This record gives sequence, C-alpha cells and structure tokens, in this order.
Amino acid sequence: MTEDSVLIGLVSLVWIALAALYAFEPMFAMPGSAIVWGSGAAVFLALAAITAIAERRLRQAGKRDR
Amino acid sequence: MANNSISQFLRTLSAGDRMLLKALSSCALATLALGVVFGLITALIRTGYAGAEPQTGYRMMTGHGVTVFFYWLYFAQMALLMALSAAQTRGRARVALAPAAWAGLLLMVLGFAASQTGSWTGTPLLYDGSPDLVGENRWQAGVFYSGYVLLASGLFLLSVSAVGTAIAAKAGPDQRVWSTIGFAVVAWAGLVMVSSLATLNTFLPAAAWAFGWGQVPTSHSTGWHLLFHNLHYLPLMGTVIIWYALVQEMTGVSSIFGRRFSKGIFTLYLVFVPPTSLYHMFLEPDLSPVLRGLGSLLSLLISVPTIAVFLVIVSSLEANARARGARGLFGWLRMLPWQEPAMAAIGMAAVNLALGGIFAFVLIQEQLAPLLSDTFFIPAYFHFLTVGTVTLTLLAAFAWSMPAIFGRPLWAPRLLRLLPYGLTLGLAMFGAAGMSAGLTGMPRRVLDATYDGTAPDLWSAMSPIIALGAVIMTFSLLLYVVLLVGSALGAGRREGAPEPAAPILASTEGAAVRQKAWTAPLCVLVLIIGMYAATILAFSLLRALPLATAAAGVH
Repeated sequence: MTEDSVLIGLVSLVWIALAALYAFEPMFAMPGSAIVWGSGAAVFLALAAITAIAERRLRQAGKRDR
Repeated sequence: MANNSISQFLRTLSAGDRMLLKALSSCALATLALGVVFGLITALIRTGYAGAEPQTGYRMMTGHGVTVFFYWLYFAQMALLMALSAAQTRGRARVALAPAAWAGLLLMVLGFAASQTGSWTGTPLLYDGSPDLVGENRWQAGVFYSGYVLLASGLFLLSVSAVGTAIAAKAGPDQRVWSTIGFAVVAWAGLVMVSSLATLNTFLPAAAWAFGWGQVPTSHSTGWHLLFHNLHYLPLMGTVIIWYALVQEMTGVSSIFGRRFSKGIFTLYLVFVPPTSLYHMFLEPDLSPVLRGLGSLLSLLISVPTIAVFLVIVSSLEANARARGARGLFGWLRMLPWQEPAMAAIGMAAVNLALGGIFAFVLIQEQLAPLLSDTFFIPAYFHFLTVGTVTLTLLAAFAWSMPAIFGRPLWAPRLLRLLPYGLTLGLAMFGAAGMSAGLTGMPRRVLDATYDGTAPDLWSAMSPIIALGAVIMTFSLLLYVVLLVGSALGAGRREGAPEPAAPILASTEGAAVRQKAWTAPLCVLVLIIGMYAATILAFSLLRALPLATAAAGVH
C-alpha cells in the first residue's frame, strides 16, 4: 500500500467512528446523520480498497515485467 | 509552457474526451449567465428598483439560488475535476469510464431542466425546497425535487469516472504514487460522491411524497442541514485544489513541505467534514446545550484545512521567490505572473476568502447564529465565498484550461485580467452594505423590507448600495462569460497564438527551503485579529439595538 490508500483509509475510519457515534449515542441522534456519514464511510472505504487493489496489481505486474 | 503541464496534457486528450470537457464547460457558463441574471433581477426587486408580483419575485430568488448554487457550481466543478483527473494520466491522457461520465452529464442536464420546470410552474420553494411551502402544487414540487435527484445521480457517475481515471493513471511510468493533485482529485471526487448521497437522502423522500408515493418527509430540515454542510466544504475544497494546481502550472512552484505533507492537508478536509457539521443545527430548538457548546468548539476547526493549504501555497511561492532574489516583506509578490488572467483572479479570490472567513466566524458562533440567521447578513457575507472566492477561482481555471480544451487562445486577456477587481468592487459594496443592514435586523428572503415606511432609515440608505453592488457583480460575471465563450468560439484568434507561460519562479528545492517566508503566517495572524474585531463589532452593534430591551421580556 502507498500513502494514497493509507490516507483514504484513514478518512474512512474517522467517518465510521462518527457514523457510529451518530447512530448509537442518543445525544447525537439526528435523523439521517448516521445514514449520510455511514454512506460516506462506505464510499471512502471503497475508494481506499480500490486504490490498494490497483496498487497491488501494478506492483505484481511490475515484478513480472522484471 | 512546461512539457509536463496540465494544459499540455489536456491538449493530448482524444476528441471525444475533449468534447466531454467542452460540454461540461459550456453547461457551466450557460448556467452561470442565467443564474446571475436571475440574481440581478432579485436584487433589483429586493431593493425597490424593479416591481414584480411576489410569486415572480420568489421565482427569481429560487431560480437564482438553484441555478447558481447547484448547477453552475457543480457543472464547473465537474468540468475541472474531470480535466485535472485526465491530466494525471500524463502522456496518454484519457477519461476512464467515459460512458459513465457522459451519462452523468446527461443526468445533470435533465436535472437542470426539471429544477427549472418545477420552479417556474409550481410554488417557488427556494433552493432548500421545503415541503412545508408546496401547498397544492404537488406534482410540480415532485418535478423540482426530481431535478436534485437527477443532479445527484449525475454527479455520482461523473465522480466515478474521475476516480477511475486517476486509478488508471497509477499504471503509468513512475506513477504508482499519485501526485499531490492526483490524490486531491480523488479526495474531491469522494466528497462529491458523499454529497450526492446526502442529496438523495434529502430529496428522494420529498420527491416520493410529492408524487404521492410516500409519507410527508418529517426530517427534511435535518437532511438539508447535513447536505448543506457538505455543500459548504465541497466547493471550497475544489477551490484550494484549483489554486494548488494553477499556481504550480503558472509558476512551476510545488510545495516546499513535500508531497506527503500536502496530501495530509487535503486529507484534513475529509477528516473535519463530519464533526464540524453540528453548527448547522444551532437553530434546531431541541438541540441539547452540550451539543451547542460542542458545535461551537468544533466550528473553530472548519477553516483549518483551508488556512493550511493557503499557508502551503503562499509559503512555497515566497520561499521560491526569495531564493530567486526577491527582497522586502512583499517584494516577492511582484515576481508572480500577474499578467495571467488566472493569477489575478486567484489573487482576488484569496482576498475575498479572507473577508468571507472573517464574517463566517462571526456567524457560526452559538450566540450570534440565531440572531443573524434570518437577516440579510447571510447573503451579504456568503457572496464573498460563493462569488468572490469559489466562482472567481472556477473562472480562473476556465481562463487557464479553455484554450487547451478548445484549442483557441483567450479573447481579450487584458480585460480578463481586470475583471476580478471589478467583481470584487461590486462584491465589497453589496457585502458591506448588506451586512450593515443585516446586523441591524434587515431580513433576508423577503421582497419588500420597507414595512410601509416603518423600517429603520439605515435599511433604505443601504439598499441603493446593495443594488449597485449587484449590478457591478452581474456585469463583471456576464463579461467573463462573454469573453470565455468568445474565446471558445475563436474570437481571440486574431490576437495571435497564446504565449505559453513559463514556470517563472521555481528554484532548486534546497535553495527554497533555506529561505524565510513570513507572509503567510502574518496573513493568518491578521485574519485571526480580523475575526475577533468583527465579532466584537457585531456584538456591539447588536447590543445597541432597541430589540435587546424587548428580548429581555421574552421567555
């Protein structure tokens, strides 16, 4: 993994934590908050995963070329 | 022009990919022209210089908000997001998943048509589309809400294409790690995707209800606040990414703090988006006091990423200029390429961002937000951000990228260089007069604030200045559109081929990092002093109002 997928993955972790806070902490309960921030967490998790997979494939392809 | 410049890569795009960027740019400029005309008519009605039925006046206000805030800003951002992502693919620039991008553009155009149809045939709902205002015009409201749903779907598809393009760029030689701009493009596209989902969360239930397929949406207001928070951050994030990219293009200077640090700063935007959203809830009556306090504290973080990017860009420019011999505190500024229309626009955008930031800080304080939220202070201050900062930056980017995309030189570049100053003059008049009136209670979202002659004299004294400021802003923006469209159509051809800009400031990295660069920290210090001064002024003005006496008896 490069800094790219690590940083995007870090973002998804922050969003997951906040979505959980909005979902499970009654003081933060606001309609739709957990859904919006949770779907955001899913978006950034997917972006981090896609980036990491692309990097891994490219590294393997680079090794084969050598 | 450097061989590895963004504009150079844009020139190597296929005709089909360039057609996509041309279509997005054209839609952006068309919606800007239409939206500012609606805005001017609204301002003239509002200040008493034009007469209209209330229904027509509110339709103009709705048309202005919807067309500019949603369609101009997002057509323009998508054009530039796609252009920056395509440029990351270096020598073999292309748009990945192009059918998705074209489908996204089509959905955005259909969304625009639906939003306009709903606005002009039904109840004017203003841009937040509150279901409480719909009344009997249910199907028209459904069409209006469908416009936002289509827009969100289009934005999502375009963002998928932008991310796919950036991922494809990793396959290039020495490209396994993205450049700072490549990384920023993906982060920007991610936030667009999230905002699309927030739009669907808000307007799908409203559309279902309006067409008779669902219950009355009971949490529309909360959904709107969540969406609106994203819509605050998203264009600002795009703005600073464009600053970073254009400054590098025009001067050859990249961050003296290194690629990883800059990526970390862009990451901060995404980290701070969710926790800082609480301050939008300050008007909710059932928000707990703990959350109010927490929201106030967290709101202090909202400007941190933008200030950090400003520090990176300005310090890098200053250090490189000093390494090349600049002297005096501000002598380095003279070495910047002010002859470029994009540089003049970015310079004024930075000034307007500082002003907008100062006044935003006044607004987001827990004690002031409820007092100011329904006054003219709001439109007066946010135009510094939406027009003076974001729109000016997007226009700067078009002035830079359109010659590469359309293959034709700029028309009247000297006039284009002057427009940011004219625009800022109009904005300053509109903003200063509007905020003065707003601090003394002049309401927003009303068409006649004279109250049969009983309104404070200050309101009527400020109205001509607000109107004149709106006229100057509108004509500056329309002239921008005319010059850019003229450039695209070839009006600049007779002035000869564009003179490529050379990277004029870049020095060796070692020489730059040894320089002292104090301008950016000084600017931040001035900004903080300005925030405190504006807050003290706002409290003083509000305490001086006779309303304070009346409020004491209210429970």
